[in-house]
Amino acid sequence: MEKPLPFCTLAHSLKNGDNAFGRSGFGQVTVDTLTAPAKRLEPSEGSPIPSAPSGAPIGVEAPMYDEMFEADGQVRAPYVLLNAHIAKLGPAELEDRQKTLERSFLLQGITFTVYGAESTTERIIPTDLFPRIIDAKTWSSIEAGLQQRLQALNLFLADIYSRQSVIKDGIVPRELILGAPSYRREMMDLYVPHAAYANVCGTDLVRNETGEVMVLEDNLRVPSGVSYMLANRDASKRTFPDAFGAARVRPIENYPDLLLATLKSMASEWRASPQVVVLTPGVYNSAYYEHAYLARLMGVPLVEGRDLVVHDNMVYMRTTQGLRRVDVIYRRVDDDFIDPLTFRRDSALGVAGLFNAYRSGSVVIANAPGTGVADDKAVYAFVPELIRYYLDQDPILPNVKTYLCREPAELQHTLANLDKLVVKAVGASGGYGMLIGPHATQRQRDDFAARLKADPSNYIAQPTLKLSTAPCLIDGRVESRHVDLRPFILCGAKTVVTPGALTRVALTKGSLVVNSSQGGGSKDTWVLADSPGDHEHGQDYPQ
Amino acid sequence: MMLARVADSLYWIGRYIERAEHFCRLADIMLSAAVDRTDSAWLAARIALAALGEDRFAPEAAVERPADTVRALVFDREDASSVVTSLARARENARQVRDQITTETWERLNLLYLRVTAPGAQAAYEQAPAPFLHEIIADLHLFKGASDATMSHGEGWRFLLTGVYLERAQLIARLMDVCFGDAAGGFLLHDHFAQLSVLRMACAMEPYLRVYTAELQPRLVMQFLLFDEEFPRSIRFCAAQVQAHLSRLARYTDGLDGPSPERLAGRLSARLEFSDFGEVAQVGASAYLGAIVQECARIHEAVYGAFVAYPLEMRLPA
Repeated sequence: MEKPLPFCTLAHSLKNGDNAFGRSGFGQVTVDTLTAPAKRLEPSEGSPIPSAPSGAPIGVEAPMYDEMFEADGQVRAPYVLLNAHIAKLGPAELEDRQKTLERSFLLQGITFTVYGAESTTERIIPTDLFPRIIDAKTWSSIEAGLQQRLQALNLFLADIYSRQSVIKDGIVPRELILGAPSYRREMMDLYVPHAAYANVCGTDLVRNETGEVMVLEDNLRVPSGVSYMLANRDASKRTFPDAFGAARVRPIENYPDLLLATLKSMASEWRASPQVVVLTPGVYNSAYYEHAYLARLMGVPLVEGRDLVVHDNMVYMRTTQGLRRVDVIYRRVDDDFIDPLTFRRDSALGVAGLFNAYRSGSVVIANAPGTGVADDKAVYAFVPELIRYYLDQDPILPNVKTYLCREPAELQHTLANLDKLVVKAVGASGGYGMLIGPHATQRQRDDFAARLKADPSNYIAQPTLKLSTAPCLIDGRVESRHVDLRPFILCGAKTVVTPGALTRVALTKGSLVVNSSQGGGSKDTWVLADSPGDHEHGQDYPQ
Repeated sequence: MMLARVADSLYWIGRYIERAEHFCRLADIMLSAAVDRTDSAWLAARIALAALGEDRFAPEAAVERPADTVRALVFDREDASSVVTSLARARENARQVRDQITTETWERLNLLYLRVTAPGAQAAYEQAPAPFLHEIIADLHLFKGASDATMSHGEGWRFLLTGVYLERAQLIARLMDVCFGDAAGGFLLHDHFAQLSVLRMACAMEPYLRVYTAELQPRLVMQFLLFDEEFPRSIRFCAAQVQAHLSRLARYTDGLDGPSPERLAGRLSARLEFSDFGEVAQVGASAYLGAIVQECARIHEAVYGAFVAYPLEMRLPA
């Protein structure tokens, strides 16, 4: 008997109303940035009603949104071509192509290092060969939404580091901003060209169970992942050349040019041909591959802190010909570590005197120090309001419903619904200091309730989230895995959204964790062109 | 113009790959010589061992169990001069300057590194030691070929090759000192098999035979390895290459104190070009070779002083 093709199996099981995870559901969730969208964002706060925030009961039974299949098992329109192509190949060939793909990643050195007791090994960032596809219409609303959001956030940053009218007008509580550890007093009244504080932004988007695209997190500090987006694209072109060609996917290969143009535009007011460098913490950083990749493709030096010196408030790099002036530093080092004289004294990664040089205006640091205050978990809750305040527009991309425990009513609601919510500490990241209500024991919840009451302003709560799923090749079989979406936005003299993204995949069955440190992988993202002309224009950056 | 740190890394990549290649060749010859249980084969094996600078094993024991000895020489990560250590360091340096070398060059080195550090590498070696070593040497040739064919022949490439040739000159000098130095009693190595093995250790057998035919004499072997104008592993050739690369780099070092690396290299190169065997015989091989090694060390220091570890106050832009 002929074996059924893998996708037929999946489609069939979905048709029968099973979710792809069997009965165990979200058994192993240990979530980092996991949060759940309410069905719809409630625009006005008023008094949060202590009822289940989303219509569906929290847990597993609610159907999830699948990127490729309709609820009835039909293949969604953007995937029809790819599906037909994959069906022709068969499981053995797919497995083969997956192996080829992994080998090419290893050869290129797209790896992170695992330091063990006995030996040091390098692993590739897990990557899945099936692309995730986004149609032109969905993308155009994502693009507009991201533009709008970054515009508002940059205006917000310019405001809080100067007139602070957003605080004076009572839109955002004063202590929420000025008390945030990521707020940098040193940035007050400092001139930033084009008021572009966040030049490179990676926003994490998710789809909820109804298929609505929502913003989970803004990353305005040093977002990474763009090299994997480009490497995945390179690989998927070789893995599915026919389907790629026929699908008319929008190109993303010019990202390094756009990045360089963005960075140069930050110094163009005072330098005809600015010297740009990429500042990396060094070869032991887990994102080192990306730093080297971007420097190589932009054709600019990749420097470490020890390569730079500051003299008379000018930044120089040590070259074989002596010292050479540096104009723009695309830094991939956190705020805390860029200058031991201004920030952390124990930092060996930074450059002494860099911040003073920056204040004097002789060098540009991108992203600007202090942008982290705008992607703070508590400020996140205010972004829709900020969009209305600065742009007088309704947000195009909704937020995930967020309860600020600093507000007594919302704290009450959170305490009453601890078993349904995810509670996060505002300052923490990486999954520390958080509670996942549905998966915690009563004792853990009681413990957390005590902490909440002791320091409510340090916490926010969000409903538990159901990320959409996409098919992946797992051990030779096609299975569904949860995914999110990280597009990249560049902002200098002009704001540009790259028509592509990094799709992160929770490769562990049932898991919602997409972080690469915790069994997460990635896949290519195809954004389809709506008209034949889109391949040729629409992405040019005016010099 | 490039970062000083990058120039440093490229220079060291050159040194490490040359060292790894030379050690593989010595190990290979020791392995094959030890199979022959003749006096001359054992002599050759001991020469290889001495040239490797190996002092962990008693010579007799090492030659008795060549496979064990060579395994340690190749795979011991604790040993600073083992082949795997050299390759790992070359690759680590390459990773640090990944943005400065071409993808073709990087992939050669990365692939080789992954092969020798793979979990099955030792098993592959046990199964067929000689082919394993040959493949490393072949891969290193591919690396050098790829860098020649794909990298711009500019500053970075010149630093890489300066490292290669400076290291090579020192390694060949050490090999000759083992064979013909004071400790060996001068030019007494008359054993045909041992001489042939020495030539093979320097990768010089075929080129030598073309010039001097199969008539092997210590004097001729030494003359060839020291002074041949065209053989790419003679010390004279290496010195000429170092000088050529440094003189092209030198336009970047005006206003330098002390002897410039270019001048030191020029001096060494000229000395080797106009020297002859009589001079070597007069002062003794060890003294002559020792002076060369010392000059190489001075060039190394001068390169550092000029390009990498210069004092900052001297080098602010005008």
